[in-house]
Amino acid sequence: MIEIEHLSKRYGDTIVVDDVSFTVGEGEIAVVVGTSGAGKSTLLRMINRLVAPDAGRVLIDGQDTTTVPEDELRHRIGYVIQGYGLFPHRTVAENIGTVPRLLGWDRRRIAARVEELLDLFQLEPSEFAQKFPHQLSGGQQQRVGVARALAAKPALLLMDEPFGSLDPVIRGKAQDDLLTIQRRLGTTIVLVTHDMNEAFHLGDRIAVMDQARLLQYAKPADLLTHPAEAFVEQLVGTAERPFRLLSLVTVKDAMEPGSAEGEPIIVTATLRDALARLIWRGLPALPVADASGAPIGRISVDGILKHGRASLS
Amino acid sequence: MSARAVILRIAALLLLVAFVTAPQLFAFAFAPLTANNAPAIYNQGSLLALTLSHLRIVVLATLASTILAVALGIFVTRPAGREFLPLSRSLVNIGQTFPPIAVLAIAVPLVGFGEKPTFIALFLYGLLPIFENTLAGLTEVSPRTLDAARGMGMNARQRLWQVELPLALPVILAGIRLSVIISLGTATIGSTVAAKGLGEVIIAGLQSNNVAFILQGGLVVALLAVLIHDGLGLAERAAARRLGRPLDEIA
Ligand SMILES: Nc1ncnc2c1ncn2[C@@H]1O[C@H](COP(=O)(O)OP(=O)(O)OP(=O)(O)O)[C@@H](O)[C@H]1O
Ligand SMILES: [Mg+2]
Repeated sequence: MIEIEHLSKRYGDTIVVDDVSFTVGEGEIAVVVGTSGAGKSTLLRMINRLVAPDAGRVLIDGQDTTTVPEDELRHRIGYVIQGYGLFPHRTVAENIGTVPRLLGWDRRRIAARVEELLDLFQLEPSEFAQKFPHQLSGGQQQRVGVARALAAKPALLLMDEPFGSLDPVIRGKAQDDLLTIQRRLGTTIVLVTHDMNEAFHLGDRIAVMDQARLLQYAKPADLLTHPAEAFVEQLVGTAERPFRLLSLVTVKDAMEPGSAEGEPIIVTATLRDALARLIWRGLPALPVADASGAPIGRISVDGILKHGRASLS
Repeated sequence: MSARAVILRIAALLLLVAFVTAPQLFAFAFAPLTANNAPAIYNQGSLLALTLSHLRIVVLATLASTILAVALGIFVTRPAGREFLPLSRSLVNIGQTFPPIAVLAIAVPLVGFGEKPTFIALFLYGLLPIFENTLAGLTEVSPRTLDAARGMGMNARQRLWQVELPLALPVILAGIRLSVIISLGTATIGSTVAAKGLGEVIIAGLQSNNVAFILQGGLVVALLAVLIHDGLGLAERAAARRLGRPLDEIA
């Protein structure tokens, strides 16, 4: 768990982070969004002390980060920056092994860990281990950057616009992969982005920042249904709010008893998928099935609309 | 390097070795340049010994310049030394603008004749290219790479040895190469203050009006310069390859 308490930072006369507090639970992904210059990177860099706060403190599992030597602290926190910052003079394997080597792991253990990570990120070791960063595509470099950050099995991962320079298709895939890996490893993540879709896709909670202040820190659905300020409302996109909401809620929440004609939809699908299917098929309702395929109820256009009205009011 | 270029370098090396070890074999080529039955081949000492002492002083002086210039370059790019950057730049520049012959003139009364004043001149003259290249190499390292290094918990020393110096190495080597080549030529004037070197051959030629001698001294220095230039170029490229940079990016 990571607790951020009243962090503030000023450069000269400008305050860049103004009294920000929030808590990220064990194994959660917190996404920090906001316009350019809002102070997101500065906030992130205060967590691993690349930037020294003027006020406030950060606790990791209850321990004040200032009680640990800087370098030691950073060995324990994975850090991924935009552009990945791979070492151009080191191979993929050497890049990934950076922190383990700093920690003094023996050769064999490092090699095994590197191989394990290459596999995890779907980079064939025999093909990629000895390549240099300039021989990789953007998407591959991105994966190596994340693999490097995870090498010493940190419990906390900081990511500053890790998908910023990927094209939309690869970006979506990279986000999905990150989610899969994160769920598997249980890593706590604080991720900075200015892409609202990314925030909704990845965040267990979203922190909205503007002009150095934290405007709201909430679950994605709460952000949509109860935006704290006009700015948050504007940022999450007034026109898109209903659709965003639909993609956050699963069929389970709007399911009604009964049955319907047609091919059943799985109960874990989002309302967005369900509505799309209903419109596409021109049907008023679809049967709902559980994971084993057994019918357990129905989902209807009316039901979805009713659910939407209830949550947005 | 193409096959032809390699063959040419090997031929140059063989020619050089043959000439300094058995110069008499080449007398036929230089005889037409002499007059009045003057000797065609330098006869006041061993060419091999002169070449070796010429190389020795160049290597020693460049080594000393490298140590000081690289150390200085590292120091003034650290937070603690940054304020000394302008001062060290001008000091090193003065070393360069001072004519070597003037350095010799000043040094001889202080340290006497022989190798010492030559060493001092070469040392001062060699500082600038290495210092400037060290600065360029270290400051060219991308801030993002350094940020990543810091973010992964490398301390200042680890960042220097594991990231900054390896990335700056090809540029530093280019500075050393430049410095060696300058020194090879400059070392010939050391003979005016009695340092052993290939300058002796040239000076003997000038004094006895023997073009063959002048040419021999010049030829050996030139061959040395070409071969050392290429050899160090190979080292630079090997270092650049370690950076994963394509070969053609480095001249
Ligand atoms: N080292 C610094 N010195 C002075 N000002 C700084 C420094 N670092 C950041 N700032 C300023 O602080 C403000 C916030 O910067 P920060 O990088 O945290 O913004 P950001 O939200 O990450 O923006 P972006 O989305 O563009 O990356 C900016 O106005 C920036 O100019
Ligand atoms: Mg930023």
